[in-house]
Amino acid sequence: MKNLVLIVAIALISFTVFSQNKLSTTSGHIKFFSSTPAENIEANNYKVTSILKPTEGTLVFSVPMQSFEFEKALMQKHYNSKKFLDTKQFPKGKFKGTITNLSAIDFTTDGTYEATVSGTLTIHGVAKEITEKFNLTVKGGAVTGKTEFDITLADYGVVFTKGKPSENIAKTIKIIANLNYSK
Amino acid sequence: MKSKLFKIIGVLALLAVGYGAYMWFMPHQNVQGTKAFKTIDATALVNEFLTDKDKANNIYLDTEGESKVLIITGTIADISEDQLNQKVVLLKNTSDKMGVSCTFTVDTNAQVDKLNVGDAIKIKGVIRSGAEYDEDLDLTENVIVEKSALIE
Repeated sequence: MKNLVLIVAIALISFTVFSQNKLSTTSGHIKFFSSTPAENIEANNYKVTSILKPTEGTLVFSVPMQSFEFEKALMQKHYNSKKFLDTKQFPKGKFKGTITNLSAIDFTTDGTYEATVSGTLTIHGVAKEITEKFNLTVKGGAVTGKTEFDITLADYGVVFTKGKPSENIAKTIKIIANLNYSK
Repeated sequence: MKSKLFKIIGVLALLAVGYGAYMWFMPHQNVQGTKAFKTIDATALVNEFLTDKDKANNIYLDTEGESKVLIITGTIADISEDQLNQKVVLLKNTSDKMGVSCTFTVDTNAQVDKLNVGDAIKIKGVIRSGAEYDEDLDLTENVIVEKSALIE
């Protein structure tokens, strides 16, 4: 009898998650990592807003670009400056995409699912179509998302041809994101 | 003549090393030690961005990321914690769609323990981005303020 109650409770929680029109977070974490022989550079941002719509497979990210924090203040200033991301002119990075294999993800059953997401990533005012993996974990009614992929800075109009930045900043940087969604 | 030249080169070299060291060890923006640009109500700040986003970005955001330090007044609508265990206080009036999300730090987290939803408070912090409603994305975004501390 106890088991039956437990099963019904889990099923109800799972159904509730699936039937949510919209899951969201305003405290997602995105990290980027640049590695060159000269130095490694890492920056963290804990203020990412994201929306996930389980029924439609829509996935949206909005990243306040000035919320990236670097170990060194000078790096942070360079990153925000007009020569790099120009965060005053382009204060937000955005992604809007769709899970293309939605039928392979069961938001009603605990488990880890590998979603394929295709959409438009806009950084520094430049929009580019991308397709990346997004690992979704459904556990006890909660949904978390993780992804890791590389972007080439030149694709988004960030180019260094000479000077220290061209030696110290990688041409391709790694992006790692962790999102904890709630209703 | 030669020794004078060496002295000048030596002084210039020391200045160069000193400047390099200063740049390398430059401290981050001292938000709580900076005089606030202005005191503003949460609703008024949100409305500035909703009315004219570009104008508001121009007023509040800095080209090198050291944006305006503000004192924001408002009513607490929510208290949460981010993935870095920093307390996050949302200042938003019940009739507003968006508010001002103020993130505290490891050093100021404890100030939030005594706060409750519905309290009217003043928070000092640095603005990172403005409020926005994107109909296309069905996305509602609060003003983001970080390095926050309570103003008694």
